[in-house]
Amino acid sequence: MKKALQLVLFLGIISLISGVAVGSVNSITEPIIQDNLLASEITNLEAMYPGAEFTALEVTDDSGYIQGAYEVVGQGYVIKVQTTGYNTSTPIIALVGFDSEGTITGLMAIQQQETDGFGTRVFEDEQVQSMYVGKGLSDTVDLLSGATVTSTAVQSAISAAQVVVSSLIGLIG
Amino acid sequence: MWNNFKNGFIKENPVFGLYLGMCSSLAISTSLNNAIGMGACVTLVLIASNVIVSAIRKITPDEIRIPVYIVVIASLVTVVEMVVHAFMPELYTSLGVFLGLIVVNCIILGRAEAFASKNGIVASAVDGLGMGLGYTFALLLISITREFLSTAGLHFYNPFNSEQLLFGFTIEALEPYTISLFSASVGAFLTFACFAAIFAILRNRSSKKEAK
Repeated sequence: MKKALQLVLFLGIISLISGVAVGSVNSITEPIIQDNLLASEITNLEAMYPGAEFTALEVTDDSGYIQGAYEVVGQGYVIKVQTTGYNTSTPIIALVGFDSEGTITGLMAIQQQETDGFGTRVFEDEQVQSMYVGKGLSDTVDLLSGATVTSTAVQSAISAAQVVVSSLIGLIG
Repeated sequence: MWNNFKNGFIKENPVFGLYLGMCSSLAISTSLNNAIGMGACVTLVLIASNVIVSAIRKITPDEIRIPVYIVVIASLVTVVEMVVHAFMPELYTSLGVFLGLIVVNCIILGRAEAFASKNGIVASAVDGLGMGLGYTFALLLISITREFLSTAGLHFYNPFNSEQLLFGFTIEALEPYTISLFSASVGAFLTFACFAAIFAILRNRSSKKEAK
């Protein structure tokens, strides 16, 4: 009994020391990691709105599509959405740009591995221009035949983004 | 002590001699960058874990020595992982899950159990350095072969700033003849097998000499 207690105590002390060490390193590296993430995010955002200034916004979301929201100072909003298309193992992560009235100005996929030549067409510039750009907050974006699964997923994500932008502009809620 | 250090390279090279830590060395040896980054991380963890295990070897109860080693190694790997994530994000992304998997890299637990738990601190540190460099050396051999055959060049970027090319060349005359197979996992196995064979020949030769 005494032996067992000794063993437990020894392992406990070792774990405690390790825990404290890992925790203190984490408190140093965590802010740097967060900064790096933000910096890489801003690189993505600048591809959409070159030279603009961005501020991160806190938004409430029940849909599960919204990953983040940014205000483009004086120009509009960018919503980061995540949705699952045809490739269920790699979700689609995309940025949706809105102007200050809530009209869609662009869609940019950050990560997507949809079927080449089918699903990927949804993210091609030509399709983005005709399907998404210029749609208002009350419009539903189109689907693309031959890429139904992917474009439906994007449609749901954009709807969720439109709800967020509506509340940001102050139209609802 | 010099022999401990030297052993790690040819005779007891952890990868080609003892066949330890093969999983990670096959997976991440696609480029010189990955090999150097991974080699450095493993060497660091190996030295630190050997030193700690050796320092507490007299007070560690025999019954729970393996759990104690695991706790020590896991904490060290977590620390290294967090530091790499913070300061070398590019390397963190390209090593992916294999950085965290250093925890279960058998070289580290193997050296803790086989060497550090029986030897002094300095000898253990030297053993860690030798084994770590042996692992790095093996990774370098595989990754240089693979990167060269699949891209006709070699590139090494500054790990703290991925834009800055520290060293690199491409032989343009060979570019049409690159074998992209070698960047896939098949290439890893082929390269590994060839090097393992060469190391076996070297080992056999030196042991024959000793026998005579």
